[in-house]
Amino acid sequence: MSVPILKQGPNLIASIQSALSDEDLIRLRDNLAAQVGQYRSKGVVVDVSPLDVMDSFAIRTLRDIAHTTKLRGAHTIVVGIQPEVAFAMVQLGLALEGVATALDLEEALSTLGALPGAA
Amino acid sequence: MATLVNGQVRVESQLDATLLQAMGMTEEELAHRKEFLQFDQPDEQNLASISDLAESYADPVIDAFYRHLLSHPESRRFFEDSRVLEHVKRMQRRYFLRLTQGHYDMAYVQDRLNIGAVHERIGLPIKTYLGAYAFYLRLVAQRLSEAFQAKPERAMEIFLSLKKLVYLDMGLAIDTYMFSRERTIGLQQEAIRELSTPVLQVRDRLLILPIIGVIDSSRARQLTVQLLQAIRVNRAKVVVIDITGVAAVDSRVANHLVQTVEATRLMGATSIVTGLSSEVAQTLVTLGVDLGKVFTVGDLQGGIEEAERLLGFRVVADDSGPA
Amino acid sequence: MAVEVAVPVSSDADIIGARTQARQVASALGFTHTATTLIATAVSEVARNIIVHAQRGSVTFERLESNGRHGLRVIARDSGPGIADLARAMEDGYSTAGGLGIGLPGSRRLMDEFVVDTAPGRGTVVSMTKWLS
Repeated sequence: MSVPILKQGPNLIASIQSALSDEDLIRLRDNLAAQVGQYRSKGVVVDVSPLDVMDSFAIRTLRDIAHTTKLRGAHTIVVGIQPEVAFAMVQLGLALEGVATALDLEEALSTLGALPGAA
Repeated sequence: MATLVNGQVRVESQLDATLLQAMGMTEEELAHRKEFLQFDQPDEQNLASISDLAESYADPVIDAFYRHLLSHPESRRFFEDSRVLEHVKRMQRRYFLRLTQGHYDMAYVQDRLNIGAVHERIGLPIKTYLGAYAFYLRLVAQRLSEAFQAKPERAMEIFLSLKKLVYLDMGLAIDTYMFSRERTIGLQQEAIRELSTPVLQVRDRLLILPIIGVIDSSRARQLTVQLLQAIRVNRAKVVVIDITGVAAVDSRVANHLVQTVEATRLMGATSIVTGLSSEVAQTLVTLGVDLGKVFTVGDLQGGIEEAERLLGFRVVADDSGPA
Repeated sequence: MAVEVAVPVSSDADIIGARTQARQVASALGFTHTATTLIATAVSEVARNIIVHAQRGSVTFERLESNGRHGLRVIARDSGPGIADLARAMEDGYSTAGGLGIGLPGSRRLMDEFVVDTAPGRGTVVSMTKWLS
C-alpha cells in the first residue's frame, strides 16, 4: 500500500489512507526523502488522520521522516493525530518530541506559509 | 453510545449472542446449577412425558395468563399495544412449550438469558416477572391435577420436576437482568461523567478546562480524552487548564497533567496550566516531576490573557463611557 | 462460543491483523474507544516483538472474569531465543540497534497487569490484562 504524495507548490503532502505495514512506512520515509531532494521542497505535511493506532514503529518512522527531510532543508509537520491515539502515545511514552504537529492540513499549510523563506 | 435527550441520559445497550460469553456461563456452571436444584434425568423424563399435554393446554393457559396481566395496571402497561400483545403471546407460547421439550443445554441457556435481557430492556420489574411465573405455575398445577386425576402422586412428581426447571430459568433470567442492569448503569455513569465535565469554549480557538475535585487515574484519563476531542471539534489552538480547584496535586496528578499537556501538543494545541502555586510546583520538581514542558501562569485570568496574546487577540481599553 | 481467540503472527501484515482483532474483541467486551486504542497499541508492540525476535508466534485473546470484574487478557507467545536480561528489557530507553526498544515497558504502561515469562532458549510469553472499569 503506497502512500500518495501530493506536490503543492513548495510543499509535499503525504496522506495516509489506511493502516500501514512496517514496509509501507519505510517506503514512505524513503519516498519523502527522495522527493524533498528532487523538488527542493520547503515543507512536508504527513496526514495520519485515518490511523486509529500508532505504535512505536510508526512513531519512530515519523520522527525519522522529520529528521531526514530536515537534513534536506524541509520542515515537516504531522497532522491529524486522533484524540485516542494522542492519549495512547503519551501513555506509551513516545510523544514525538522535536517533531512539529498541527491539528489538520489547513493549520499545517498556514504554519508553513508563515515560515521565513516560504514562497 | 450515549445521548442526552430531554434531560435524560439514554444508552443503547447491545446484548447479543455474546451474552453467554460475557456472563461467563459455561457447561460447567450449568451442570452446577442443575446439580444444586437436583434436576436430573428422571426430571427430564417427567417433563418429556407431558410434552403433548402441554401442547394441548398451551393456548388456554396463555390466554388466562395474559388476562391476569392485563387486569393489573402495573403489568398492563407493557402490553397495551395490541400488536405487541400478539407478538408477546406467541413468544410466550414458545417459551412455555420449550419447558417440556428436553435438551436443557447451552442453547437452552442462551435462549433464557436473552429473555432476561429483553425484560430488563423493557423495564419489566422482577416482582412482576416472579408474580407472573407464580400465576403460570398455578394454572399448570390445575391442568396437571385434572389430567392425572387417577394418579395424583404422578401429577405431583411432574409438577416438582417442572418447578425445578422453572427455578433454573428464573435464576438465569434474574442473573441476566442484573448483569445488563449493571452494564446499563455503568454506561450511564460514564455518559453522565462525560456530559458533566465542562470544556468551555470562551473564544474562537480557545478552550478552558477548569478541573475541580479529586483526580484519580480514571478521571484523569477521561478528562484528557474529552479535552483532546474538544480540541478537535472546536479546532482549538490554545487550551487553559486550570487546576486551582484540584484537591491534592501530588506527583501522580502532576504526571497526568504533564501527559495531558504533551497530548494536546500532538493535536496542534498549546496548553497553559493555571492555578499551580509556586510552592506546589517546587515540591513537584523535588519529587522528580519534569514540569519543563508545562507552561504555567499563576491564575486563570492571567492564563486567559496569555492565551489571547498567543492567539493574536489584543485587549483594547474601552474609554468611551463610564465603566 | 469461544472465549479465546488466537491469532498466528509470522509476518509484518499479521501485526495489523492482531491489532484489528484486538480492537474487535475489546470493543465487543465493552471497553471504551480509548481503552480499545490502548489495548490495540499494546498488542501491536508485543506482536512486533514476536516478529523481530522470534519470526513467528501467536497472540491470544481471553475473556476474564474475577470477583464480578470483567477483563481481557492478551497472551503473546513465541519460541524464539528468549530475553537474556529481562530487567534491562523492561527499562525505558533500552533501545539499542538490537531493537528491544520501548515495546515491553511501553506495553506495560498501557495495560493494567503485565507478566513476562522468558528465559534464553525457552521462548517468551507476555501476558497482559486490562480490566473494564
